[in-house]
Amino acid sequence: MNNRKVTLAAAAAGVLTGAAGLSLLAMPAGAGQPPSLPNIAPETLVEQVLTSKPGAFGGTVEVDNKLGLPSIAEIPQLADGKHSARIWTDGNGKLRLALPNGQSEQTIVDDGTTTWSWNSQDNEVTKSEHKDGRKDEAKPDNAMDPATAAKEIVSKTKEFSDISVDGTARVANRAAYELVLTPKAGEKTLVREVRIAVDSELKMPLRVAVLTNGTAEPVGQVGFSQINVGPQDSKLFEFTPPSGAKVTTPEAKEEQQRHKPEIGIEQALRGENPQIFGTGWDTVVGARIPADAMTQVPAEAQGLVDRFTKKVSGNWGSGKLFTTKVATILIADDGRVVAGAVPEQVLFDTIGQVK
Amino acid sequence: MITRQLGSEVRWMLRRPRTIIGLFGLVLVPIIISFGIWTASDEGGGGPGLAAILKGNGMVVPIFTLFLSLNLLLPLVASIWAADGLAGEAQHGTLRGLLVAPVSRVRLLFVKLFGLTAMSLFAVTLMAVVGIIAGTAFLGTDGMMTLSGTTLSTAEGLVRIVLFILLVTFQMVSIGAVALAVSSTTEHPLVVQAATMTTIIVFQVLGQFPSLDWLHPFLITTGFPGLIDVMRDPIPFGQIWDSTLLAGCYLLIGTGLAAMRLITKDN
Repeated sequence: MNNRKVTLAAAAAGVLTGAAGLSLLAMPAGAGQPPSLPNIAPETLVEQVLTSKPGAFGGTVEVDNKLGLPSIAEIPQLADGKHSARIWTDGNGKLRLALPNGQSEQTIVDDGTTTWSWNSQDNEVTKSEHKDGRKDEAKPDNAMDPATAAKEIVSKTKEFSDISVDGTARVANRAAYELVLTPKAGEKTLVREVRIAVDSELKMPLRVAVLTNGTAEPVGQVGFSQINVGPQDSKLFEFTPPSGAKVTTPEAKEEQQRHKPEIGIEQALRGENPQIFGTGWDTVVGARIPADAMTQVPAEAQGLVDRFTKKVSGNWGSGKLFTTKVATILIADDGRVVAGAVPEQVLFDTIGQVK
Repeated sequence: MITRQLGSEVRWMLRRPRTIIGLFGLVLVPIIISFGIWTASDEGGGGPGLAAILKGNGMVVPIFTLFLSLNLLLPLVASIWAADGLAGEAQHGTLRGLLVAPVSRVRLLFVKLFGLTAMSLFAVTLMAVVGIIAGTAFLGTDGMMTLSGTTLSTAEGLVRIVLFILLVTFQMVSIGAVALAVSSTTEHPLVVQAATMTTIIVFQVLGQFPSLDWLHPFLITTGFPGLIDVMRDPIPFGQIWDSTLLAGCYLLIGTGLAAMRLITKDN
């Protein structure tokens, strides 16, 4: 009899363990105890971030997006929700990105001379060879040493924001400083603060979170959920198009997609010579879409624009306003466009200056 | 003693006509899929997920087949075996004999669980093998192309298939264990099958509602889609591990409940 009771208890314990396991799995992974790190001046930390050169690493990046952007078929990773991507780099410009999209995947490999982009959905590879001049282009003419440049950026940043180190955090099992950029009180911006978790050893950002006024949770967060630092398998940075896959060039691809409505908007928005108004956090970018480009936007695209915008008007004219939690875009009916991380009133005040 | 019991359990299961018919039905799935893709027009890949890379990629057929079948077909088969194991025996009056026999009831449950596992592994492997043959025959193969666009050698591809077989079998056995718990409470095998399949379908429907996302981590069906990561290169083990742990919890709960019921059952 006693034996029976023991077995019964064991079976009950099994059930309880299973139930407990289920609840454990359902719980979000705890952040863990924040590590204790030596104090560091925020200015020094920013300089170190800017001058450090991250070496080889591989990891998983998780994007948690609550920006309120419409979902666009081409870039599902932008839509609201959680998305993850895997990234590997050898620290010398070779790169591999894996972007899962449901049960499909997009893989982008940069082997140093060629960028390959593969999409499992349509079994197509886009191959773009680097132009020879590209490397030189990247370097500005008056090349400064990185330390000086970093100091410059720090002082520029401090003009508009308060920089502080707000404790530490554990990100992807690595110790990190929480660097916080807060816009100065005079800045007319939607952003409340930007929190950047900086790896205490590598001085590379592990997580960036943007918080806006009126929300406790970040509206957008990008961060590593797992990272391993060190040399990566060199095979990761090679790509051979699978047999049977269609290989195209970006030019051909663009031609093929010309009729798609999203591209029409993008081209219209790109405009010419963007004009910059204001400084710091309330910088507004303005442009004028040529009248012919406005009329070229296909009806479907127009519908898309109408769906996500609201009609507004004022002494500056009338137009459409597109609002997300961190940015606002105002498109006037005559083709003027202004955008910025600012409340709509700032855009109404600025749009008159667009030439 | 125990090996004889295990052997005879599997032999009994294999001897049932419905088992043979069921296995035959399962084997048809990869053949139909391969044939269907083969006859489909040559234009583009198309189709979501794995279906898009099936063309000219016969080694993916077993994984695609098992991935599809995991949603309904394999849980159904597992529930049939679990239903036969206890409820079926009770219906025929043979369970009484087993319960009064000088064999521990826990051992009886493990014999049943072993039969379920062995048959699940056999069925899944059979489907995979037929999938490899049919896929290679109809669609041809140059190694195995992954969702990441890399091409694995045939040997590497086989390792992925074996890994997937084990993962799918484990999910199937976990569902079967819960079905065994139901099976221990009734004399009607149909009740077991209906209960198991209803649960699986309801879980999948619940999984579609974003407003119930707090519930999703508890549903075994939530773990199914993540298993497709086997076809990415390199394999991200995060989701695969989570799905397997989730199924493991169901296995513990199912086995525990079945044991509790069997121990307290009055003949």
